[in-house]
Amino acid sequence: MTRLILTRLAQLPLVLLAVYTLTLALAWAIPGNPLENSERRPPPEVEAAMKSQYNLDSFWSFYWSYLDSATGVRAARDHFSGRAESERRRLESLHLAPPPRRVFDLGPSLQYRDQRVSEIIAGSLPVSAQLGVVAIILAILIGTPAGVLGGVRPGTWIDSLSLAIALIGISLPSFVTGTLLVLVFPVWLGVGKVGGWGSLSQMILPALTLSLPFAAYIARLTRMGMVEAMSSDYIRTARAKGLPESSVVMRHALKNAALPVVSYLGPACAMAMTGSFVVERVFNVPGLGQHFVNAVLNKDLFLIIGVVLVFSTMLVLFNLVVDVLYRWIDPRIRT
Amino acid sequence: MWKLVLPLITLIAAIALSAAADRPLPRADFTFINRGDITTLDVHQMSWMMDLRMARLLCEGLVRPNIFTREYTLEPAAAESLPEISYDGRTYTFHLRRDAKWSNGEPVTARDYLFSWRRAMLPENSTDYTTLFWLMEGGREFFDLRAADLAAHARRVKDLSASERREAARALWEKSCADFDRLVNLRAPDENTLVFTLSRRVPYFLDLMSMPVFYPVYPPLVSAHDTIDPDSGRVKTDPSWTKAGTFITNGPFRLMVWRFKRDMRLEANPYYWNLAALNVRSIAIPSVEDPNAAVMAFRTGAVDWVSDVNAGYRGELIAQKEAHFAEHRAEYEALVAQGLDPIEVDRRLPPDPRATMHAYPAFGTYFYNFNCRPALPDGRANPFADAKVRRAFSMSIDKEVLARDVRRSGEVATDVLIPPGSINGYRSPRGLAFDPARARALLAEAGYPDPTKFPVVEVLFNKDSGHDLIAEYIARQWQTNLGVPVQLTTKEIKVFRDDLRTGTFMTSRAGWYGDYGDPTTFLEINRTADGNNDRGYSNPTYDALLDRAETELDAGKRLQLLQEAERMIVEDELPLIPLFVQNNFYLFDAHRVSGVSSHPRSEQQLFRVDILGDGKGAEKALALPALAHPVEGGGGSP
Repeated sequence: MTRLILTRLAQLPLVLLAVYTLTLALAWAIPGNPLENSERRPPPEVEAAMKSQYNLDSFWSFYWSYLDSATGVRAARDHFSGRAESERRRLESLHLAPPPRRVFDLGPSLQYRDQRVSEIIAGSLPVSAQLGVVAIILAILIGTPAGVLGGVRPGTWIDSLSLAIALIGISLPSFVTGTLLVLVFPVWLGVGKVGGWGSLSQMILPALTLSLPFAAYIARLTRMGMVEAMSSDYIRTARAKGLPESSVVMRHALKNAALPVVSYLGPACAMAMTGSFVVERVFNVPGLGQHFVNAVLNKDLFLIIGVVLVFSTMLVLFNLVVDVLYRWIDPRIRT
Repeated sequence: MWKLVLPLITLIAAIALSAAADRPLPRADFTFINRGDITTLDVHQMSWMMDLRMARLLCEGLVRPNIFTREYTLEPAAAESLPEISYDGRTYTFHLRRDAKWSNGEPVTARDYLFSWRRAMLPENSTDYTTLFWLMEGGREFFDLRAADLAAHARRVKDLSASERREAARALWEKSCADFDRLVNLRAPDENTLVFTLSRRVPYFLDLMSMPVFYPVYPPLVSAHDTIDPDSGRVKTDPSWTKAGTFITNGPFRLMVWRFKRDMRLEANPYYWNLAALNVRSIAIPSVEDPNAAVMAFRTGAVDWVSDVNAGYRGELIAQKEAHFAEHRAEYEALVAQGLDPIEVDRRLPPDPRATMHAYPAFGTYFYNFNCRPALPDGRANPFADAKVRRAFSMSIDKEVLARDVRRSGEVATDVLIPPGSINGYRSPRGLAFDPARARALLAEAGYPDPTKFPVVEVLFNKDSGHDLIAEYIARQWQTNLGVPVQLTTKEIKVFRDDLRTGTFMTSRAGWYGDYGDPTTFLEINRTADGNNDRGYSNPTYDALLDRAETELDAGKRLQLLQEAERMIVEDELPLIPLFVQNNFYLFDAHRVSGVSSHPRSEQQLFRVDILGDGKGAEKALALPALAHPVEGGGGSP
């Protein structure tokens, strides 16, 4: 187990380096000037000066300078060369608090000039994570019972109904379900609020919207696992020794049927917790998801790389957590 | 089984704990939606409307226009009075208000302006408006010298050690400061006096100075966040200086909360010299990205003013307002005939939720570009290099139908480039009217008697914000009224802009918003080799007219020269086809909110806002004075 964790963690920087290189190469190829505002165009010498502020005049100088500050090499250099210390003293002589020190500096946002990428992520990732966790919980609470109900009696009307609902859940895009939920609950019934973030009541509807496709997928996985488990030998044995049906289903069958669900939860968590552009827009949630789309539209290089790196890290970590959980739930599995 | 349930329970507990953390603030005196979120509060970096709006709340420049006068009269703001201007119109002497203070109570001094303008003139801080400082004597020389020094520094330090680089960068900065004092004709003889000289007489310079790029920043705060990069020699400001709790400003309000993409909260600046004149003490600015959500928020009463209404709602809301006017037809027409400000018209009619939509002409024009270069990007001869062809194409578009039936957003069709009535004392030329018969004759004269033989006309546009409908309409007009073959090309906005820059188009959608109250803000974009001359239009006669206007001392004659220049553009040469005047779309209840201006220059100074009937402030409804000679049948914009 420890070896598994250590290997994965050791691989993480390599994965991130590859992701960074690929993302930057693609983002660099997006047409247009990331510093261009509105329809106005400054003279060429001003434009050149603007570009060189952010090393945007050359791919390689951008590539290395970003690596330099993002990996903390620059901060370490400043620290050991005494620059950080002299800077602190200079500010103290001015009676001013020094700006917060950043070891891993992900750079500024080109679109939102007053924000650093790390600040944007620090502000929006917790929101998305909160929303994502609630959505995943809802998805499990909805998906598992639906799957069990269908899987226990395959071919009955209950099974067909839960399959049909699951199909709708997977295929309906969230801008439709989200808008429908807004229309039905706050607008028609007057329950809950439209948009915003902060209270639990504002969290329910977006979380529900976000959870539906996951719930549907979980329902299908559970059903599949249940159908297989219910027809296996150990269930026949359990029934033969006179266990009540509820105990057979819940204690014996579900335990095995849940394994594919658990392995699906890894990527699902990473996806749900890094935000969804559509859900955030419909419900005006200040999460991370909007930046995946907007940053690309604005060609905001630092922000694009920042959010992609966060997503990759979460994906790797959640897969690791799932693998660990897997072994804990089912001790038969070994590396 | 418990192994499956335990992780779930842990998660639920974590959520319940984290949800208990947020506390909402009490409702502010005034709440408005300023688009998604602003891009910056650094006055030297701004160019978006929503950012400029914030600058006018938080900061203050030397002068500002009175947005409730038709003439847009400039008034002293942080200055004690309007400046003394020397006889040759080049030297300005400002006397600062002695009671002007930063939000930490420190006085605003002339040296603060020196510091701020030097910062704005540095090549490493260049933005869209950097070139305004080049009008100052020595501004351009300083920029070029510093840019060259930076480039030389970057080359030289390559083989130096880290500490040597730092030394060299610091020495360069000291040299640049000395260069600035030597080259730029800008001085502070004492704490409250600021004197500078322009390189030439610029009649509208005072107007330019009301722009936020000329506002001061608090030097101790900025220098604390500045570092000199040893490798490039550039001075970089850490962006955290504009954060709530850190930011120090000299305007009517100060920044209390800024949660990015969530909300902003402002409170009256207790040290502001004109604190007593503020009618609201706190302002909340929730960040609402989704345009539908903005309209919903207004309808539920959560916000008092929405600064922009999504295109999808405009037609319907304007139709509702027209229905409201129709119900009070006689009264409405009498009010319009008095030449009243449309906001005042709304106030005198009975309150009605349908009346909360407001569409006012803005300081911008929607038009179509012709590529005027001799050859097309693929090397073929360009038919639009001929002014006759351009005139023919321009006369074959019925703009009234476009504005009324295609746009349905209350915009006014126009045949001129500069929005009429927006610039005090300037009279617009007539422009070319719709005349399809004359257009066909012109096209034949230009060598295309058979229009079907005309090269396929490509119309380039980007898909968003209803540009597609306009493009389809224009294409149809050219096909039916001229009989030429037309092809529509749609591109993503960034690609679209690149194509415009490189001249890779035949005709394209375009638009321009003016920056200051002088015709040159629109006319310069057609000057040969201007950075914004996407059309590649070049005409020595036109350039000469602009040059002559630059040196003309008599204000009346100068405006005549500029009128002649605009006439050339919109009647003879047509490098572009003006289509309609852009509109601003606001949501607010005129019976409740005062302080929003309907002036076509479209600047809003929200510190003037007063919520009528809340018992706070002057409780006096502001509006533009009535027009002396109301336009016949006009002025009825919803």
